[in-house]
Amino acid sequence: LISAYLHGIYPRSEPVVAATRDLDRGRTTPEAVSALYDQDLRALVDVQREAGLDYFSDGLLRWQDLFRPLVEASHGLAGGALVRWFDNNTFFRAPEEQGEISAGELGSVYDTTSAVPEPRVATLPSPLLFSRVSVPSGDPNDLMRELARGLLRPVAEQLVARGYGVIQLQEPWLTFHGIEDADWKHFEESLGLITEGLGATTVLHTYFGDAGPWIDRLRDLPVDAVGVDFFETDVRSLRSGWGSKGLLVGALSGRRSNMESVEDIVKLVKMAAETAGPEAVYVSTISDLELLPRDLAADKVRRLGEAAAKLREEL
Amino acid sequence: VTDVLKPLLTHEMGSLAKPGWRVKAYAGKTLSATDVEDARVWGEKIGVPNHEQLVELLERAPLESREDRAEVTAWSARYGVRLLESAGLDVVYDGEQRRSEMYAWAVAHSNGFDFKGTVRSWDNKYYSKAAVTGPISLGEPYHNEEFAFLKDVAEADLKVPITGAYTIADWSYDERYFADTDLTAPLSDRKAARKQGRQDFTLEVARNLIRPNNQALMELGAKWIQIDEPGGSTDPEELDLFAESFNASVDGLDDGYFSTHLCFSDYNLFFPAIEAMTACRQFAVGFANYDTRELGVSDEDRPGYAVIKKFRDLSYSPVLGLGVLDIHTDFIEPPELVRDRILYAVEVFGDPDRIHVTPDCGLRTRSWDVAYAKLVNMVEGTEQAKEQLGL
Repeated sequence: LISAYLHGIYPRSEPVVAATRDLDRGRTTPEAVSALYDQDLRALVDVQREAGLDYFSDGLLRWQDLFRPLVEASHGLAGGALVRWFDNNTFFRAPEEQGEISAGELGSVYDTTSAVPEPRVATLPSPLLFSRVSVPSGDPNDLMRELARGLLRPVAEQLVARGYGVIQLQEPWLTFHGIEDADWKHFEESLGLITEGLGATTVLHTYFGDAGPWIDRLRDLPVDAVGVDFFETDVRSLRSGWGSKGLLVGALSGRRSNMESVEDIVKLVKMAAETAGPEAVYVSTISDLELLPRDLAADKVRRLGEAAAKLREEL
Repeated sequence: VTDVLKPLLTHEMGSLAKPGWRVKAYAGKTLSATDVEDARVWGEKIGVPNHEQLVELLERAPLESREDRAEVTAWSARYGVRLLESAGLDVVYDGEQRRSEMYAWAVAHSNGFDFKGTVRSWDNKYYSKAAVTGPISLGEPYHNEEFAFLKDVAEADLKVPITGAYTIADWSYDERYFADTDLTAPLSDRKAARKQGRQDFTLEVARNLIRPNNQALMELGAKWIQIDEPGGSTDPEELDLFAESFNASVDGLDDGYFSTHLCFSDYNLFFPAIEAMTACRQFAVGFANYDTRELGVSDEDRPGYAVIKKFRDLSYSPVLGLGVLDIHTDFIEPPELVRDRILYAVEVFGDPDRIHVTPDCGLRTRSWDVAYAKLVNMVEGTEQAKEQLGL
């Protein structure tokens, strides 16, 4: 079974770029900017539909970073210092733990269900990532559990109730920085707090680093599928025996302007599927497409769709 | 440049916001009465000679001729210089008023790059990103015109900020040196090819773009060139390359004083790689962003400055440009806070000659009111530190 979808933050169009700059300088209104965001979202849905993707993403177009709307919707967290987003020339505000963490409703501007058709895919930060980029008030593993229980689970439930069929959890921290052995059980427990009985397909997607050293442990985590960045990971390190665990093949770079050929993508996915033997294969970009200009990102979405179509024919 | 250097010298750090009158007039738009008044008020406040001429020019907006628009940017540069001089800084520039943006300006004056579009840096801040597609060379010296202008305008000494080779390479896409998209090849082979491509790209920028531009500036009389490397610590595995690219950018330019600027990174990552960066005479580094706002000169009071001991211990004894202003907030650091940050650093270094005082980074995200108030307090705090040290 092959499915293709887009995850994470999608780039903004030049009109939205100009309008948001103007908004910061007091030269336009929030209403005018909002109308342009809506236009961007319609265009993004069209690109995904034309590409034949299997799930629709809203591209988190209004999200200033992967954490901000969640921090805004929470009690017990606040936005802190600007920090580099891994090894990229982009930055996020590091959340700071300031009290007991609980979730409110995501702001209404982030509810895109009226514009995005079903089936839908949503993107959230993994609890390990969220806890490690945050400034904890105590033990980071306690924070990880509290984020999972108090914030990510309730938000995931809200998304499922709104009709999201896939909940993807972004996990670049593990493969970029690693994890202490003693922390793994806390990670596993925190993931379970989010995913057990959620009623949606859950994907933990690793990127910005080599998943090879973690493959065996990743396959045992309480998620339906695990995502791998094949720019940083050797496909041979997947090993066989994935069984009922799905595999997300991160095949198109969100950080390079070079366009992957359909043939290259198909070859990679086939090799990954043959090596691992998973029940379900998802094909997507390696990281969000946020780090590309919008036109290039749209080309990558189309290329993803072409490759998925060819794979469905051939597999 | 050595005649300029002194203990606790204060100097600028990159860009200032472009005033509304500059942005609108340059874009050929109509100006409001407030915009024109803003030019008049700031002209008086910071003492820009003949600023009435700017006011008259702005009153004619929208400006249609290229000459008029160029004149507006020249005025903007005069204002930038005077703002820094008026705040009392020892070494100034123009707040990069004539440049589009630190990356795009350099790349637009280079051969071998194609712009691909806009990418977000954070929130509603973006930059134009290019890909390297061909052989890299200097299209034309891209800071000479502004430097020649500022030599005539500035009363204080000048330091020319330029964008470094590593940052230009890091902020670009690479369609020339490593373009392979087949991800089925063994990872070790792909990594080796990537590493080689990255090295070739970065060093070609250093040798064929940055160094010739440095040389052109020096031929015009520039003595102090600050190579800004906000991307310097982006990839912890490439810090040796970062250091090598700095040395290549200034190789053989023995008459110049070359410094670098680092910001918003885990500075511990730079060690030990920058032990090889022997051509660098000064590291200007942002620390205030990580520090508390409490007064005091103990390690506990100054957590944002813990790493400075590593800069102290570099074998070639560079100066540390001590970032004392957080450029991401409107909080106006009191002079006493600036003073204590300086006193802490002097105590750690044991030598005030090796400490200069700067903002963390460019103040372009702050209003001129905020930037000016911060800088005035920075200078006042420096004076208080000097007094306490008997300098």
